[in-house]
Amino acid sequence: MLMGVGFALVGLRLVHLQIFERGDLARRAERQQERLMKLESKRGNIFDRAGRELAVSLDVESVFGMPKEVENPRSVARELAGILRENPSDLERRLASDRRFVWISRKVDPAKADKVRDLDRMAIGLQVESRRFYPKKTLAGNVIGFTNVDNKGIEGVELWYDQMLRGVDGWVLAEKDARGRTVFPGGHGFQYQLPRPGKDVTLTLDEVIQHIAEKELDKGLAESKARGGVCLVMNPQTGEVLALSVRSTMRGRSAFNPNEPKQYRPEEWRNRAVTDVFEPGSIFKAVTAAAALEEKVVHPQERIDCSAGSIQVADRVIKDAHKSGVLTFTDVISDSSNVGTIKVAQRLGKARYFQYITAFGFGRKTGVDLPGEIPGLVKDYRLWSGVSLGSISIGQEIGVTPIQMAAAYGAIANGGTLMKPYLVSEVRDPNGSAGAKFAPVPVNRAISEETSKMLRRILQKVVETGTGQKAKPASYTAAGKTGTAQKIDPRTGLYSKEDYISSFVGFVPAGSPKLVILVMVDSPVGVVYGGSVAAPIFKSVAESSLTYLQVPPDDLGGRMLLVSQ
Amino acid sequence: MNTRAGNIGSFPYTQSRGGNLRRVLIFGLVVMGLMLYVGGKVQIMRLGYQIDELEKQKRDLERRNRSLQIEASSLSAPGRIEEIAVKRLGMVRPAKENVVVVKRKQGVAARNDQRPTSP
Repeated sequence: MLMGVGFALVGLRLVHLQIFERGDLARRAERQQERLMKLESKRGNIFDRAGRELAVSLDVESVFGMPKEVENPRSVARELAGILRENPSDLERRLASDRRFVWISRKVDPAKADKVRDLDRMAIGLQVESRRFYPKKTLAGNVIGFTNVDNKGIEGVELWYDQMLRGVDGWVLAEKDARGRTVFPGGHGFQYQLPRPGKDVTLTLDEVIQHIAEKELDKGLAESKARGGVCLVMNPQTGEVLALSVRSTMRGRSAFNPNEPKQYRPEEWRNRAVTDVFEPGSIFKAVTAAAALEEKVVHPQERIDCSAGSIQVADRVIKDAHKSGVLTFTDVISDSSNVGTIKVAQRLGKARYFQYITAFGFGRKTGVDLPGEIPGLVKDYRLWSGVSLGSISIGQEIGVTPIQMAAAYGAIANGGTLMKPYLVSEVRDPNGSAGAKFAPVPVNRAISEETSKMLRRILQKVVETGTGQKAKPASYTAAGKTGTAQKIDPRTGLYSKEDYISSFVGFVPAGSPKLVILVMVDSPVGVVYGGSVAAPIFKSVAESSLTYLQVPPDDLGGRMLLVSQ
Repeated sequence: MNTRAGNIGSFPYTQSRGGNLRRVLIFGLVVMGLMLYVGGKVQIMRLGYQIDELEKQKRDLERRNRSLQIEASSLSAPGRIEEIAVKRLGMVRPAKENVVVVKRKQGVAARNDQRPTSP
């Protein structure tokens, strides 16, 4: 009788387990027996415009441990620490944990992996993973950016194009045996999804021009003992960025190497050409001149009284660096007269002038494919004070980014069309098919072709006889504008008398511009004028880049040999 | 009766000799078949191991090849080439006065540009 009741109870329990709790228990069993393993996709490569590798993925090995199978964590940890240069007590703690799987060291050098393999420990294994490597080291480091240990983009192009570069991870459904070891079932029950590799990205950057820009900027910064700088080279016809060098000489290290991001502070990663604003100073006078010429409120040969180098604007007196009397408007720009420029800007009025500031792209993001871009600081003209029109016309009371400034000069150089700057020309599958090409994007017409021509001649005079003579490249004509802007002292909120931004922006050759080059030097020591600090860097970059691009010289002074075949 | 008995007596003897031979032959064939089967399996296994080993070698060589390509890419960085050219080989940039720019005649230039480029 009792046995019968017992059997009945067991039977009922069996029915309950097999019928009512079947689904839940089956799911629990699956969870215990199955292991979903991730198959990492291979990150796409980054190339320069000529197909030279700038960022690649390399298969390397990571060391892992299975703590439950480690008999003596202390001795194993000590052995591994010697090979992998890791902290032995930290390794011991990980190996003594109650987890089934722990990482010992991710993405180790092949020599270290071989040594670990030679140990031949059952509980220690090696797994192939993909590691990001930047073969050109510091070259374009701030543009390319870097990834973290899981190959996720953290900065630069690596971050902006992360989704495309990363691809899609695959998976495989493996089973676990009684000891928790992974077993691949095979046969019909074998479920998996192969990873899809990331796409390759081709930049508009040219490795050689990038090297030229970096080398000359480094040289210039060392000579002027400056705190940092930017050198940007752009194709004015298309908006393609050919070189973008960002340097910070603080802490005695000048270049960011994306192979070792942990060695640098976040402020050293960022691309200051798009993330930082600066008061442009006199290089902004080209925008004022463009607006005045377009609106026909001035003629290049019109004579303007520069009031002996001083002008009262509202409650402020603005002076020239050198006293001038009466100058033609061309000379106002080439001699960089503040007074002459302000007088012409006053003819435009606030509303009309503001229209041109926005037409040249200031106050909004350029849309360049880099993370962290800011729109700059441009106040609506209805909020301007009495002094604002005068100040802005000479590049004060306005914040711009280097890339905005280069794009604006690109518009002056190409006949008046503002082009969107861009860094990636093509994205394609690793097998070379199914690509997306990025074409140049005209944003808007800033000025007419005629105004552009007049302004190019004025800016050429800046280099020939004005403040930018040191920017003149040998055998080529050039046009541009110097700038020396006082920085705001963060302690007083007033213009500093020690810290300046020295700059030069221009294009070469002046007649048929192939390159726009912007040089910005942050806080030079001693001589601070843009014409002395930034212009020589412009000259060197222009000479080397034009020679490399095989652009025929247009200013040989009779040294040309005409040949017939 | 005797003859029958004799016949009866001799028949099983002959049948037993032939049957044994057949059994031996069948056994031999089975053994040979098994040996061939096992041998084949062993051979397949051995080839499988060889394929595994060769695939591993292929993977290692591909990895090594990729590493060398990246090393070559790293060594061909423009900064490094310039440094070797200037510091080790003593090369200098041509001075302005040492450069003569040759401008092609318009017609010749146009004709040359139309020619297909050689590989």
